[in-house]
Amino acid sequence: MAAREPRFNQHVLIDTTPMPSSIPPVQEVGASSAPLLSASYFIGARCKAYNDDFMKCKTDANGRGEIECLKEGRKVTRCAAGVLEDINKSCLEEFRKHWTCLDDNNQQLWQCRRLERGLNKCVFDNLKLEKTIPGTPENEVPVHLRKKQIFAHSLLSQ
Amino acid sequence: MPQDMPPMGGYEPVQYRRNLPVRGFRPATYLFAIAGVMTYGFYRMGQGIREQNELAREKMWSRIHLIPMLQAEEDRDQVRRYYSQQAMEKELLGAETKAYNSDRFVRPTYAVTPSHVTK
Repeated sequence: MAAREPRFNQHVLIDTTPMPSSIPPVQEVGASSAPLLSASYFIGARCKAYNDDFMKCKTDANGRGEIECLKEGRKVTRCAAGVLEDINKSCLEEFRKHWTCLDDNNQQLWQCRRLERGLNKCVFDNLKLEKTIPGTPENEVPVHLRKKQIFAHSLLSQ
Repeated sequence: MPQDMPPMGGYEPVQYRRNLPVRGFRPATYLFAIAGVMTYGFYRMGQGIREQNELAREKMWSRIHLIPMLQAEEDRDQVRRYYSQQAMEKELLGAETKAYNSDRFVRPTYAVTPSHVTK
């Protein structure tokens, strides 16, 4: 895949032709990076099967994945959008606080543990999605559950 | 002529050692104190490195969970442009030609620009 963007010397020119109608439309997620980072583990928890399916399709498609895996891609996008929608429905307050904190703190997760704890609890109570980091050493407390964050700027944020 | 001889009972002992008060603790004390400080510092550094590793793992997995979604969006956009180019080619040239001797998906390097820019 040639990963080179077309360059023009006058303006940013974007081809706005819509997708042919033979391909089912899907609403894009449209969230910016901080909400996505905040919700990433919940997206991962619920959409793991779709994600793995899509990535496997891309691997197996032998370079034609862009066209052949559109169906799997739509599923992935719908699932992720669904998770965000559910979080917005039941935990909007906590979610918004957490991703605003991430935005204000250079998207460093360890600066916002206090708000993250609230969000994780709310999401677990309402949506039954739990944040787990794979591959964490067995005998340690996972880093997102630790009371004290060594690298955090202020003690208040913990 | 009489010779100079040492005084009776010999000379006084020569004072070669300085008679200054010794400041501070014994050297061994400093050695152990600094060893203690260093040990504590390395212990804290080890803790920090371990926490950094875990934070890196957390960041990496959050990205891993997001990649399929981002990739799907990008792919859809690329396919949309690709189909649009194909349609344009068909309209202008009457036939779809293949630029590459393989059926892999290749991101287009060039794109058609409008003859006059409106903005």
